[in-house]
Amino acid sequence: MLAIDNLTLSCQIDGRRIDLLRNLSVSLARGRVLGLVGESGAGKSMIGRIIAGHTPPGFEVTQGRVLFDGADLLSLERKAWRALLGRRIAFIPQEPLTALNPVLTIGQTFDEHLAHLGVAPRERRASMLRQFDAVHLPKPDDMLRRYPHELSGGQCQRVLIAMAFVANPALIVADEPTTALDVVSQVNVLRLLAEQRRQHETAMLLITHDLRLAAHVCDDIAVLYAGEQVEYGPARDVLRRSRHPYTWALDQATPDVHGKPRRLSALSGQMPGVSAMGSITGCRFAPRCPQRLAACEAEPPPSIESAPGHWVRCLKPRDVASNSTDNARESAAATWQAPNDNISGTPLIELRDATLCYTARRGLFGQRKVRNFAVEGLSLAVQPGEFVGIVGESGSGKSSVAKLIVGAEALTGGMLLIEGRDRALANAEVRRLNREHVQMIFQDPHSALNPRRSVYRLLTQAYEAGHAVATMTEQPRNGRAQELLADVGLPRDMLPRFPGQLSGGQKQRVNIGRALCVMPRLIVADEIVSGLDVSVQAQILNLLIELGRRHGIALVLISHDLSVVRYLCSRVVVMQRGKVVEQGKTEQVFSDPQHAYTRLLLSSVPPADPTVPWPPAIH
Amino acid sequence: MSAIELPAAPHSGVDRSSSLCGALRELARQPRVWVGGTILLVAMLLAVFAPWIAPHDPLDQDLLHMLAPPAWAPDGSASYPLGTDGLGRCVLSRAIFGARVALTVAIAAAWGSMLLGSTLALLGGYFGGLVDRLISYVVDLWMSFPPVVLSLILLVGLGTGIDKVVLAVVLVDWTRFCRVVRADVLVTRRRDFVLAAQLIGFSHWRTMLREVLPAVVPLMITLFSIEMGIAIVVEATLSFIGLSVPPQITTWGQMLADARNDMQSAVWVLLTPVACIIVTVLACNLLGDGVRIALDPRLRQRVA
Amino acid sequence: MLQVISAIVVRRLLLAVPTLLLLSLVVFFVLRILPADPLGMLLPASATPADAAALRQQLGFDKPIPQQFLIWLWAAINGNLGISLNFRQPVSQLMMAALPATLELSFAGLILALLISIPGGVLAFVLYQRKREAAADLTVALMQSIPSFLWSLLLIAAFGVLWPVLPFSGRAGPEVALPGLTGFALVDLLLTGQFRGLVSVASHLVLPALALALGFAPLVIRVLRSSLIEAAGEPYVEVARLRGLSESRILWRHMLKNAALPTITMIGVQFGFLFGAALLVEMIFGYPGIGNLMVQAVKGNDLPLIQGIALIFCVLMLAITVIIDVLYAVLNPRMRNL
Repeated sequence: MLAIDNLTLSCQIDGRRIDLLRNLSVSLARGRVLGLVGESGAGKSMIGRIIAGHTPPGFEVTQGRVLFDGADLLSLERKAWRALLGRRIAFIPQEPLTALNPVLTIGQTFDEHLAHLGVAPRERRASMLRQFDAVHLPKPDDMLRRYPHELSGGQCQRVLIAMAFVANPALIVADEPTTALDVVSQVNVLRLLAEQRRQHETAMLLITHDLRLAAHVCDDIAVLYAGEQVEYGPARDVLRRSRHPYTWALDQATPDVHGKPRRLSALSGQMPGVSAMGSITGCRFAPRCPQRLAACEAEPPPSIESAPGHWVRCLKPRDVASNSTDNARESAAATWQAPNDNISGTPLIELRDATLCYTARRGLFGQRKVRNFAVEGLSLAVQPGEFVGIVGESGSGKSSVAKLIVGAEALTGGMLLIEGRDRALANAEVRRLNREHVQMIFQDPHSALNPRRSVYRLLTQAYEAGHAVATMTEQPRNGRAQELLADVGLPRDMLPRFPGQLSGGQKQRVNIGRALCVMPRLIVADEIVSGLDVSVQAQILNLLIELGRRHGIALVLISHDLSVVRYLCSRVVVMQRGKVVEQGKTEQVFSDPQHAYTRLLLSSVPPADPTVPWPPAIH
Repeated sequence: MSAIELPAAPHSGVDRSSSLCGALRELARQPRVWVGGTILLVAMLLAVFAPWIAPHDPLDQDLLHMLAPPAWAPDGSASYPLGTDGLGRCVLSRAIFGARVALTVAIAAAWGSMLLGSTLALLGGYFGGLVDRLISYVVDLWMSFPPVVLSLILLVGLGTGIDKVVLAVVLVDWTRFCRVVRADVLVTRRRDFVLAAQLIGFSHWRTMLREVLPAVVPLMITLFSIEMGIAIVVEATLSFIGLSVPPQITTWGQMLADARNDMQSAVWVLLTPVACIIVTVLACNLLGDGVRIALDPRLRQRVA
Repeated sequence: MLQVISAIVVRRLLLAVPTLLLLSLVVFFVLRILPADPLGMLLPASATPADAAALRQQLGFDKPIPQQFLIWLWAAINGNLGISLNFRQPVSQLMMAALPATLELSFAGLILALLISIPGGVLAFVLYQRKREAAADLTVALMQSIPSFLWSLLLIAAFGVLWPVLPFSGRAGPEVALPGLTGFALVDLLLTGQFRGLVSVASHLVLPALALALGFAPLVIRVLRSSLIEAAGEPYVEVARLRGLSESRILWRHMLKNAALPTITMIGVQFGFLFGAALLVEMIFGYPGIGNLMVQAVKGNDLPLIQGIALIFCVLMLAITVIIDVLYAVLNPRMRNL
């Protein structure tokens, strides 16, 4: 159905031609699913745009063909190409809530789509209701009159799927269709896509950053790195018998929720950015490759078929005895050191029956008060040196707990004790304790670092606070900055740089360094690895473990990602809608979950073993 | 399908405006900044050195040469390069002296509006709650009045004179500053780095001045330029009506009012002050635009 | 829907009362501190201090200021806004005679402005997309630097003096007698079927309305253009493209509807400028509206008249705010369920 043949997409930066996508060759037959896996910056989203014919200005296809049902899309006339979109080729976008025009009702948007497809006015309504039924949307009649902002992310995505499949397309391109959704909706949407696909026998191109998800959902996988197709073959093989060092490293760097805990091995550095791509001759993965040869850096290696249907672009593909991935896992498990398990003494911080409640005013004159409990009746104690994880979906209240601990929000009920002393007594001593004992690392590095401060001024920002910070070292500012750089693993020349010049991983390190400056005893980390590449994420996680050991810092990690929490934390707290549903030792909770919600969360993570059926069947 | 990884247009993806050098370099790349800045600089030089540059005294009436045409016209003479008005006064000299009032009012009023508006915006946006509600209410109240009407009334109450005109413009237009800057302060306030600074132990004042204010400064500079343009127009309006400065001081508005009567016979007497106002205000607007594009990274990506 | 609209109107009206009160208070006090003596022009040169005192007492200027305000307020609530010092007529009467002219002019100016700026904004956006915006940008920047009163002078110079095709003084030709039905000349003449008069009034309306429109249009063009640019970057536009919709359909059906919202808000905010501009435009064109009246009142230190017109302006601004709020609520689905 779809065949991409030696495709190259280029752009001009500073007068040089840079290939964002290079020699991409994949094919997709009718009724099959092809997964395009790559981290952000790998260029996978560009493929969707090329198929649609909407490459941004400045980017153009310099080589190759895109064959759809035999015809080369690139040589089609614009009008003919546009006629294909929505009819024979349909797209499912990443962020469903913003993918629908906010000033039109669902019905109006769908109606326009049907009109464009040529459906007669009389039949449109029936068609819409039929589709809504097919995607299991409740109250389809009502749905037509609603506006996008009245629906949840999952519901919006169903509407978009309904619109995509209504024309019985031959090809569906789904770009990260579940990334922006909560965990429960993710699984449902994937099930729905599979169902619809089977019904209509549609070919699907699934673009995702999650290798394991792709291995479970797709028939074939193509792995992209810095615009190059490094591996391409049957899904399970690519995951379990990965031949390219990058694919293998990708899997090794992803923490597991099930199975034996093992140490993550992370590649150093990160994927080259667009301008860096231009200065790399030879294999683009070579700078980070643990097994690179001199020949790798001379010329880009060709793609060789190392097994039937399994292509690798490497001069030295991995030798794959049938269980070598398992072997690697075993040895990593052997080097695993369990996180710190100290349970004695006064807890550093303790929340007793904590409640946080927001009152919103409704009604024309603000007369009605609506109370919204972000956190209800939470009790949590963190010992010195202990790593505790709080998991939940968005809206579970976990971020509110973070704010409560650092004092950014005031408790509506309950108590917060710092080293046994009640924080509510707002005297200077307690405030000082709070400030020096508890620091926070934020999720969005872009928002967390003042773009006008250099790294030097960011790391040592505490020195500007104007009062004697007693627990800090006697060091002058300069020395401390160097120390912190070394602590977080950044090179010395970073000091004069500004956040705008740093990568996501580097920004996060600066974030951590800033929190370390006052030598806190507890750090609250709110979703700090969510937006990062898998290998960068692994680097940061290992850094946190190292810092915990070196300085004896306790950590409260807030995350929606259970595998990350499992890797770092000895204890875990599971939250749902502001309440704690389960808590205990991580290994215990994850291997033997007691609460239905915990079980739901655990089952929504694609397992590392592709032979395990996933998504789980509906009970 | 959002291209989160790759930018909308190819560029190296680095935001260089964070440091001062970077900011100046970005400014230098904008042609608007050059054009606007140069015109204003020239205008300021003319204003400062007016007594030496202008060929005649602006109040000098040469009753033998009333409504003389400009130098390039058949009857024109070189001693009156732009001709004379209905009372025989040199148009060029009057225009140059008029720049003094215009620019003085522009700069003083822009400073006043900026200080008043930005301070309140910063306080309201940072502290939120009751303070913010109060300030917003006052701003809304103030803005329920058409600005020109308000300035007229103020001048009736205050009397004439340059300082009163500046005061009137500031009192009328500070609300624009306040509203726009407040919106930006609110956005910055929500950024995590402000919370981070507070957690490190920064006092409110320090956070406001070191974290929030620098983020808002580019916007303030843009508004400052635009405010200058508005002040020039308001001053011209007021002196056109006759309410601005005493008649011994020459202003462009005054020239316009005088020229109205002589429009039939001497169009350049009207066109000169019109051109002066348009060019100066245009320069202010261009400068403001250029600064905005140079220092707002999101805009640069689009325009680049 | 209706509930939301009525709720908005009621809320605004309730807020309007203290606003009007405060504003008239401020105006009152500001005017009373003026250095000039308002009575100076009313007295003959041979007047004695006793005559001045008598006149002051007659007009009520001898009482303490707060008391004067309360007297004025009480009278105003009852519909009596005092007597104009210069015209010797009741203020309310003068204003009611002049108000329709200003409303007619402002309305015509707004319509013209929209006619210029909506296509203008769309054009600016399209040029921006095609990267050919430099000339258009400069034109708009230039237009923005020319306030309405300068446009008035330029238009008079161009179409009234150098190339006399349009009249530029007054509301209608001297031969036209305006039937005083509603006060809105165009409506009245239409109702009474006097087409020649209609043409005369319309032609007198062209230049002043154009001056207003040209001063206002660049602001709207800019907002519309930047709102369209903003909308163009939104995900739903990209998704619509991926469904195969044509660019023009996306522009007109999807983007404009979304861009309309911030544009309408901006128009509401800048409406004050329109009224302020109307002041000078009326003065320059000798148009008998309340703007012109205000200028005369200000020049003559006619306190009661200034007070009255200031009040009317406040009321007008509040009315515009209500209309804009309602319009916004109607167009923005998020406001539907408060």
